[in-house]
Amino acid sequence: MRMRNKTIRHLSMVLALMLFAGVLAACNNGSGGSAQGSEQGGSSENKGEKVTLQFYMLGDAPKDLPVIESEINKLAEADLNVNVKFNYTSWTDWDQKYKLLLSSGQPIDLIFTADWTFYQSYAKKGAFLPLDELLPKAAPALKAYVPDDMWNAVKVNDKIYTVPSTWTEYVTEGIAYREDLREKYNLPKPESLETLEAYLEGIKENEPNMIPIADSNANHTHGIRQLTSKLVNTAGQLPYGLDIMYDTPSNITSYWGSAQHLEDLKTYKRWMDKGFFPKNVLNVKDTSNSLLQNGKSAVVLSGENPNKFNADVIKVQSTHPDWKLGYFPYPNAKGFAQPVHPIHNGFAIPRSSKNPEKALAFYEKLVTDKRYNWLTEYGVEGKNFEVQDGYYKMVGDAQTNGFPREGMNGWAWRNPEFMLYDKSFDDVLAIFKELDKMKKPDIFTGFAEDWTPYQAEKAALEQVEKQYLYPLNVGLVDDVEAGLNTFMEKAKQAGLEKIQTEYTKQWQDYLKSAGIQ
Amino acid sequence: MILILSLICIIPFLLILSGSFSSNESIVRDGYHLFPTDFSLEGYKMVFKFPTQVLKAYGVTVFTTVVGTALGLFLITMAGFVLQRKDFKYRNAFSFFIYFTTLFGGGLVPWYIMLANYFNLTDTYTVLIFPGLMTPFLIILMKNFIRSAVPDELIESAKIDGANDFRIYFSVVLKLAMPGIATVGLFLALGYWNDWFTSSLFINNPDMYQLQFYLYNTMNTITFIDQMAIGTGITLSQDVPTESTKMAMAIVVTGPILFLYPFVQRYFVKGLTIGAVKG
Repeated sequence: MRMRNKTIRHLSMVLALMLFAGVLAACNNGSGGSAQGSEQGGSSENKGEKVTLQFYMLGDAPKDLPVIESEINKLAEADLNVNVKFNYTSWTDWDQKYKLLLSSGQPIDLIFTADWTFYQSYAKKGAFLPLDELLPKAAPALKAYVPDDMWNAVKVNDKIYTVPSTWTEYVTEGIAYREDLREKYNLPKPESLETLEAYLEGIKENEPNMIPIADSNANHTHGIRQLTSKLVNTAGQLPYGLDIMYDTPSNITSYWGSAQHLEDLKTYKRWMDKGFFPKNVLNVKDTSNSLLQNGKSAVVLSGENPNKFNADVIKVQSTHPDWKLGYFPYPNAKGFAQPVHPIHNGFAIPRSSKNPEKALAFYEKLVTDKRYNWLTEYGVEGKNFEVQDGYYKMVGDAQTNGFPREGMNGWAWRNPEFMLYDKSFDDVLAIFKELDKMKKPDIFTGFAEDWTPYQAEKAALEQVEKQYLYPLNVGLVDDVEAGLNTFMEKAKQAGLEKIQTEYTKQWQDYLKSAGIQ
Repeated sequence: MILILSLICIIPFLLILSGSFSSNESIVRDGYHLFPTDFSLEGYKMVFKFPTQVLKAYGVTVFTTVVGTALGLFLITMAGFVLQRKDFKYRNAFSFFIYFTTLFGGGLVPWYIMLANYFNLTDTYTVLIFPGLMTPFLIILMKNFIRSAVPDELIESAKIDGANDFRIYFSVVLKLAMPGIATVGLFLALGYWNDWFTSSLFINNPDMYQLQFYLYNTMNTITFIDQMAIGTGITLSQDVPTESTKMAMAIVVTGPILFLYPFVQRYFVKGLTIGAVKG
């Protein structure tokens, strides 16, 4: 009896396991493309046999990606005997997924990098492969194509870890405003703090239903800072309330708590009293652009780079043809403009890559071969796009077209020689041309902040900022001076001085190593 | 009083419903209203203009929910049955193993490495089902439930009548544990239906997105464009749904489970009360 029980028990266990394994296998069969691919990649590296490269991009894949992938694979198989699998992270939690991809040791051959995906800190931690020796061997044409000063600019600890994009663009911000209303009520152009205030006043008076400023979360402060000072950072977002002017980068002062800060806060308080902000401004969830596009607001003060402004113009033209939008770039007020830093868009090879040479050779094709480049930037000619008078023209509309312009988010392998622009983009290019005239190199983005020495203080300070500074920024505190004092007191308790001192030290070191006076 | 409370609970849902029937412009200009001020079906038109994506996501979620719940129930009841048997020598050791994982976990990164690198489950349906199959909490719940619902004497008498362990499991335990099964089953089903995190980490192929993740991702893309695109200058060419479309999508996504809920709720309540009264 005991014996029998035992065998049955064993049998039942085996049975359960088999059942389970069977189900798993069934599930796997349905879709096992990726596992197969990586196996192929691993086993055949040395012999020059066909490998499958794992390519990781941010964002969402376009609908026609499988078509493009198979077209690219046809070319790549003939040229380099490689296949490529394009993977996308989606915008949801992309930062967490990016971290996991790089820290898990999963085999990845090419991955997107940028300053805003923390290229420098990943490079410092050794997540990427240094390319200095690999480049001349595996991708000589690419090495020659990217100018030397760009290769130098992306170096971290004296090593190249990313292939920068060579297309120069500006993401400097500006004021977008309703030009038709300005003409109608004969208001001044909002090009300085005074004229801006006069413009806002005029809008409030004549259009009582409008709330003039379309900004949420007190973002307008960045705009105002760019309008009134010559900060070193294009976006006007210097951390921890520091002031670093472009002309005197080694002289760092604190903006928070200064007389200028108090004056600015008083301005915001006045604006709130005059009704330029909605009362619940800190809870506004609508995007500034949709508020402008739908006629609820007249002015956008932050985040409006030439590209975004152009998108607004196109949208407004289709929905409200009688409106007109105006634009005042902040560089005009500052007197200089900084094009994006070369680390802004790039591609790196993670340490986990099994085929770094093939990956680099493939990336070279992507940048320097027009067939590869057009396929991945604009899709299949005739199916997804047409070239008309040298302009890019989408076939159908955004709903029906499975691969819109730059649908693969291929900002990093844009090649100015092959680039096609939409006709509407001429306006952006015109703005770029103007900005080119006052071009100065970006000396801020090359700096990589290391916040490990003050991580706890940083987190505490962020809380204090939200609690005490944001209400001041939108004029919700009656006594501005007392409010600022409270904020400074709380910030100091959170460790502001320690952060500022350490940050200043790191910044000075960077200036020295980069040779900036 | 209860009536008022229940009405208050309905209001947020009403807001979404009315938002889904409003024109986008009226939402941006005047905000949400309990009844649409400017009636329009454009949100639904947008959602169903290209229904394939939504339908695919529906398919994936229904598939994982059904398969995951069935498989999970089988495994959990088996585990519960075995662990509560007093003649199973190692039951305490096994129970401890299961209980231990609720106290100490490896964390996100090891979990990810395990599933992605060792099991190679990226971009498979398995990864959507497998990690959620058994939860320590549900096993313990099931174990306690079976212990209270099926007296030892019953199992013993079944044995004397010549039933083996499988027969006892199928004919006695499963029949008596029905309310418990309904409870655990609903937990499992809701877990699978609401899951988005697994898709977010392991699925790269948009055709295999779960419904919740599909919705969550569309919403997030909008937030992303607003917050990140400011300093990056990147252009996103995908079409971004507007307010009314988001609301319509929320209705389409939550609809079915809302109608399913009242039907299962019956068993759910029963299962909980039976499990609660010890005697």
